[in-house]
Amino acid sequence: MSAFGILLRKELHATFTSPIAYVVATVFLLVTGYTFSLTLFFTKVANLTYIFHQMYVLLILLVPVITMRAFAEERKADTLELLLTSPVREVWIVLAKFLAQLTLVAGLLAGSGAYAVILGLYGEPDWAPIYGGYLALLLLGCLLVAVGIFTSSLTENQVVAATCALGLGLMLWFADSASYILPAPLDVVAINLSLIGHFTTFVNGSLFLSDAGYYLSLSLLALFLTTRVVMDR
Amino acid sequence: MSQFPPNGDAIVTIEGVSKRYGRVAAVSDVSLEVRRGEVLGLLGPNGSGKTTLLRMLTGYLAPTAGRLLVAGFDTERQPMEARRRIGYVPESLPLYGHMRVREFLWFIARLRGLPRKAAATALDEVIGRVRLADVASAPIRTLSRGYRQRVAIAQGLVHGPDILVLDEPTNGLDPRQIIETRTLIRALAGERTIIMSSHILAEVEKVADRVAILLQGRLLDVRAMADTPDLEGLFLSLT
Repeated sequence: MSAFGILLRKELHATFTSPIAYVVATVFLLVTGYTFSLTLFFTKVANLTYIFHQMYVLLILLVPVITMRAFAEERKADTLELLLTSPVREVWIVLAKFLAQLTLVAGLLAGSGAYAVILGLYGEPDWAPIYGGYLALLLLGCLLVAVGIFTSSLTENQVVAATCALGLGLMLWFADSASYILPAPLDVVAINLSLIGHFTTFVNGSLFLSDAGYYLSLSLLALFLTTRVVMDR
Repeated sequence: MSQFPPNGDAIVTIEGVSKRYGRVAAVSDVSLEVRRGEVLGLLGPNGSGKTTLLRMLTGYLAPTAGRLLVAGFDTERQPMEARRRIGYVPESLPLYGHMRVREFLWFIARLRGLPRKAAATALDEVIGRVRLADVASAPIRTLSRGYRQRVAIAQGLVHGPDILVLDEPTNGLDPRQIIETRTLIRALAGERTIIMSSHILAEVEKVADRVAILLQGRLLDVRAMADTPDLEGLFLSLT
């Protein structure tokens, strides 16, 4: 197994043996399950659009709790010194943390897949928006995990890391609001920076490479910045 | 400034190394060679630059000027090769408290490039050597300071490095643990090169073959302990 594989295994172990993972999973599935049941009961429509929007908000709120430990805890316990004096590249350390925490987010989404299965068993849902919605949530998860790891790399205080990640997530969510006061072409930039604009198209069943590119490029930027922070010693 | 004549048997070469934080110099123009198999004691008061120098040697910090060679590998240009040859025990004893001792040492051995079979052998060997068998299955967070120190030394040794770097290895230990740690360091000498920092004169006197005295980031002197009958007097005269 390569050094990356060993790091990934360690990060997966740390992620999935932490009570945080199970608290977050419980909250996420309870809230979405409650909303799914109520929505289905009242509307009797085989559709997950409403749930997807709720999951979008929940991920913005909960992912910072998952990622806050990533580097902040290592800094506080000085174990980062142990990793950084081992023969492994900084980028592997960052990617191992990113993938381990993205696995947890993917696990949350997979858990919520039960709602789609129920719709499929008892109704005739339009599958395109469902596939699109899950893809959008996974891409959103990528971005939020990358941003959370970045803020965690800046501090040894987990609460500060989570708060900054939450702030950045919310700012990205509401970025398009600034378009009302910004002159051209900055207004277009603000609209294109917004999380929600790139999310809604997926949930409506439309797949655009530009939307996927938005999530992936911002995720890569956050991971690049994290690597630079870890390398800056 | 070269405080020690170049030696063909040098395993660590530090050439004109400085580390600055803005206008503050933590280490200034230090040159030093460490011979294969010796125990070098870095002696100096708190804040004299010992930890910064060790952190540059282990690749944790980058020097502002100068270069460091570990077994001929430049810590900046060939960091992976240099790091493979060093075992490092930081003063703060950074350990993963949620891991069990054996699990932690396995992780470190594999991370530092030992194949599965070699790691298993090395693990048994180091656990015996550092006398951790009693607590090998215990979570690290439940261990006493003395045991944590042993685990930290074990992680520095597990991959069989040429050089063991110990930063204030007896800090916070009780008298018995101090004696045990010193005995262990002496027992390891000869097999591998040991560089240890300390601000305690007696520590360096008892363990080191040579002493390098640092003050305010500058290397003041390097002497063989055999030629230094009065280390205390030397230290006072220099500082």
